[in-house]
Amino acid sequence: MKVYEALARAFAAEGTRRVFGMMGDGNMHWMQALDDVGVDLVEVRHEGAGLGMADGWARASHTPGVATATCGPGVTQLGTALVTAARAESPLVAFVGESPTADEEYNQRYDQARFAEACETAFVRVLSPETAEDAVRKAFYIARTEFRPVMLSAAMDLQQKAMPEGEEPYVPSTSLITTDPMAPNQAALLRAVEIIAASRKPVIVAGRGAVWADAREAVLRLGERLGALLATSLMAKTWLAGEPYHAGISGFYGTRAAIELFEEADCVIGVGASLNRYTTEQGYIFPNARYVQLDTKPHLLMGGGRVADCYVQGDARLAVEALTQLLGDRGAASPGYRTPEVQAKLANQFADPTPFTIEPGALDPRDVCRALDEVLPATIDLVSGSGASAGFAVMLMNRPRSLYLAGHFFGCIGQMLPAAMGAVSCTGRPAVLLDGDASILMHLAEIETAVRQRLPLLIVVLNDQALGSEYHKMVSTHMRAELATITTPNIGAVAVAFGGRGCLARTVDEVRSAAQEWLASPGPMVIDARISRAVPTIPYRRLHYGKDE
Amino acid sequence: MIALEEGFDVPATPRTVWAVLSDPRQVVPCVPGAQLGDQQADGSFDTTVGVKFGPTRVTFRTRVALELEDATMHGRMTAQGRDALGGARVQASATFDVEEVPGQPGAHVAITGQVDISGRLASLIESGASAVVRRMSAEFATALAERCAAGTARQQ
Repeated sequence: MKVYEALARAFAAEGTRRVFGMMGDGNMHWMQALDDVGVDLVEVRHEGAGLGMADGWARASHTPGVATATCGPGVTQLGTALVTAARAESPLVAFVGESPTADEEYNQRYDQARFAEACETAFVRVLSPETAEDAVRKAFYIARTEFRPVMLSAAMDLQQKAMPEGEEPYVPSTSLITTDPMAPNQAALLRAVEIIAASRKPVIVAGRGAVWADAREAVLRLGERLGALLATSLMAKTWLAGEPYHAGISGFYGTRAAIELFEEADCVIGVGASLNRYTTEQGYIFPNARYVQLDTKPHLLMGGGRVADCYVQGDARLAVEALTQLLGDRGAASPGYRTPEVQAKLANQFADPTPFTIEPGALDPRDVCRALDEVLPATIDLVSGSGASAGFAVMLMNRPRSLYLAGHFFGCIGQMLPAAMGAVSCTGRPAVLLDGDASILMHLAEIETAVRQRLPLLIVVLNDQALGSEYHKMVSTHMRAELATITTPNIGAVAVAFGGRGCLARTVDEVRSAAQEWLASPGPMVIDARISRAVPTIPYRRLHYGKDE
Repeated sequence: MIALEEGFDVPATPRTVWAVLSDPRQVVPCVPGAQLGDQQADGSFDTTVGVKFGPTRVTFRTRVALELEDATMHGRMTAQGRDALGGARVQASATFDVEEVPGQPGAHVAITGQVDISGRLASLIESGASAVVRRMSAEFATALAERCAAGTARQQ
């Protein structure tokens, strides 16, 4: 057996079902060997997009996604996607080729280890046939325990060497790792109880850690006991939607009603949420609160280098259940926020009634989101992008959904089309992606991949024919905003040319009927929704115009 | 840096207006969200000002010093402080003049100055801060005019 075959079998033994990437002579033998053992190969049109798909897979399943690229130029294409995955704490393994060990003048030669380091990515090199399987195990071990991307690099000539005879079966990294949820420390819990029991207006902010720990019921029970307001970080956006006293997102995307209620909070309980500068608005969103933070990390700095008044390391569900128990033992119960007045204040919190003048032939982006949220049932997963378009999708798509993925991790555009494709590929469930035109056009070629893969993905382009964030910022600072505008073709027609479905929408009815058509038979489809640039998002109205909305 | 450039007429005599502007107990309540605190030995005084940047309220604690030229009705205000969470510093300075309006009974107030906000808060407020400051100075002008008019009414 050759090294590349052993490497492929080891990937399969690690649970790899699907690999996203582009073939080159640094990885083609390995890819053929993967195909031989029944692993799906998804050929993409840009290596970085393939890595983004593996990232989406990882975010949807919280298990390692796998991507691949050839050596040198294949590796450098991974840059932005690797940093994004690293910031998203996505477990993934990228198998990359490496130029022949003895050829210093090989034209694709490149210092891949230093590149990985600069991309905040762990690096493991296959050094010999004897240690090839160890390298795969180590790469997956790091991905699974440190929740970060790992680049596994194997020189082309080394891949062709023979494996030693009579090897034992491959032992996957999963057999090295215990996955028992971590019990919280009792003394830390008691300190947390002191703070919580003394509070009258507690807010629970749940993040992805709570989602991953399946802590929903536990969080709801704690909320009831404390009369807490329920909020989430952006990352857990729809997780508590529909529950009484759900205040939506804490942070930049918070509603006015929620932010006014947060001002009264005297205690914030972060559950599997980093409580970073965006979630706490640098702390200003909770000016009067003490913080209790529950997370699996050894310790956490919140936004601005501050720490919680009490940090409890542990599994989110176990920690919340233990807190509820201890608070119950003390007989602590208060109405907290749970009054008819608060309920009334939150009743229409997501409405955005501010009128703007929309030019003929253009859509109000808010109407597009409202129509989609109404037409697409809760069984449809949701992915939003970054930039201006995200402000509409995040603030107006409020139906509870079983999976929601947000952009924002590296503040870059273009990453969420691949992520949505990877997530849909993983779950097999239909999903809708709302993203901007510049974002979708950046990886436009991957719509062809979506068509080839027959992914049940509806791509709604909130197309303002501009770099929307820059456009709105330039308008507000009296710069020449027209410099941020770029015309686009009919992106729906491009999807049709790729073999998918697509259309241009200039009215809400066109959006609605296209979404209904997709829902009847979910497949790869693009709705190019031509939105007006006249409407800034609510966060932009605050940020650029100081509006109290 | 946010520039302040405010000019407005007040239906009261220049001396009435000057009396309000030069008295911390009267002028501080004209600043929206402001409350007067303790007076210091050097004549400066403490204030707290709650400012809404969007729906998020930030409370600044500042020490304000006034230099007054009573004869010419010219004053200079400097203020510095930080917000209650310590994430931002604020520095403000302004000069103000009260003048007669030629041929009319009222007074004209001219204010020129600047406000600097630095630190963690800056990323949260961006260009919206200047809109907030503009709104506050307009509200200040209105409140000042009302207070002077009320004072004039009481005198009559």
